Amino acid sequence: MKSNRITAAALLAISLFCAITAAKEFRDMWKEEPIARGPGVAEVRKLSDYFPKLKGTIGDTDIFVLNGSKPGGSILVLAGTHANEPAGLVAAVLLIENAKLESGRMFVVPRANRSALTHNDPQEGSPQRFTIKTPWGARWFRYGSRATNPVVQWPDPDVYIHASSGQRLSGNETRNLNRSYPGRPDGNFTEQVAFGITELIRQEKIDLTIDLHESSPEYPVINAVVAHERAMPLASEVIISLQLEGIPFSLEPSPRNLSGLSHRELGDYTDTLAVLMETANPSQGRLRGKTDESLVLTGIDHSYEQAVKLGRLFVSFDETGHPLEQRVGRHLAGVLEFARAFSKIYQDKPIIISNVPGYDELQKNGIGRYLLPVKQ
Amino acid sequence: MELVYRLIVLLLLLAVLQALYEEKDLSKQANAALVIIPLVLRVLMIK
Repeated sequence: MKSNRITAAALLAISLFCAITAAKEFRDMWKEEPIARGPGVAEVRKLSDYFPKLKGTIGDTDIFVLNGSKPGGSILVLAGTHANEPAGLVAAVLLIENAKLESGRMFVVPRANRSALTHNDPQEGSPQRFTIKTPWGARWFRYGSRATNPVVQWPDPDVYIHASSGQRLSGNETRNLNRSYPGRPDGNFTEQVAFGITELIRQEKIDLTIDLHESSPEYPVINAVVAHERAMPLASEVIISLQLEGIPFSLEPSPRNLSGLSHRELGDYTDTLAVLMETANPSQGRLRGKTDESLVLTGIDHSYEQAVKLGRLFVSFDETGHPLEQRVGRHLAGVLEFARAFSKIYQDKPIIISNVPGYDELQKNGIGRYLLPVKQ
Repeated sequence: MELVYRLIVLLLLLAVLQALYEEKDLSKQANAALVIIPLVLRVLMIK
């Protein structure tokens, strides 16, 4: 009797040590990466300014507002909808820390689903953070999950029924922000965040919304722009311009029968022109090899080099991979080109953005060159 | 609702702790010790 109490006490001590160690790791994910206010940022708002029910919750995310000296149109850049697609977050941070608006207004939401950055997906082996070197030190960013943290929203139903369409999806999609639009004020946490973003668009009368994403190399919608039908003329012009700049994108129409996505619902339920951009992210793919910080940063993966030879990918893949600079550069080039094309089509509402690194500059100088010093 | 859930998890945790101390088989004790880790994290709503 005595011996089993001693072993029980010893095992319990080991369990508690493991639990405390793991708890520290998991709690670290709740610490937000610092973002500096760049020269163009006029104010930082909260999503709860547009939907007060989110106040005090992890859904109450920052909105960086950049005002031009002249009036014009308004653009919303959403990033971090899926927190395992880091090019969007980094592109948004580069906009916040560098961009200046000459005309119009730009709203940047770097962490659209703030909860998704507080955890990562079980059994994926993903890193919790990645670090970008800068001339003055290092900047860290979290690598999160596609979905809301189950600690915030749980349990998942067996079947997720999208509220406004009745569309049935797998139960875990109930925590996917990009299946929850236009959202509901009395819905679950993710639907409330979606509703807050929809309200931001309605209340600020946002003309153009760009949702930044990434996709795995084996997914057909990759290096692509997905556009709502009202945004198609604009997106077509953008695609042609990007092709001429040597940055090829394909253009996909937003499917009418796929509900809950930003490019569908924000286009249907608000007056904004809604588009979504995808780049190639090997660290979220199913065919990837070792998953670590290096894969996130370099996008180099030998498994994908083999997969492309077998014709399994929808994007080119060689030993140079798809580095973060390339993916962030594509997003930034897309945002700038959308603003330029919008200003050309809607001449009474120009959106003129300056001081953002171009695609070639980013490849040459790296991302760190354009990140500001922050208090760590 | 969350409080009820956490109370249920806490009860389960206490039951596993009791099993850990009453069990004589070392491998079953080790099983109980493993189960305790996620239950502690869940009671505290950390994971």
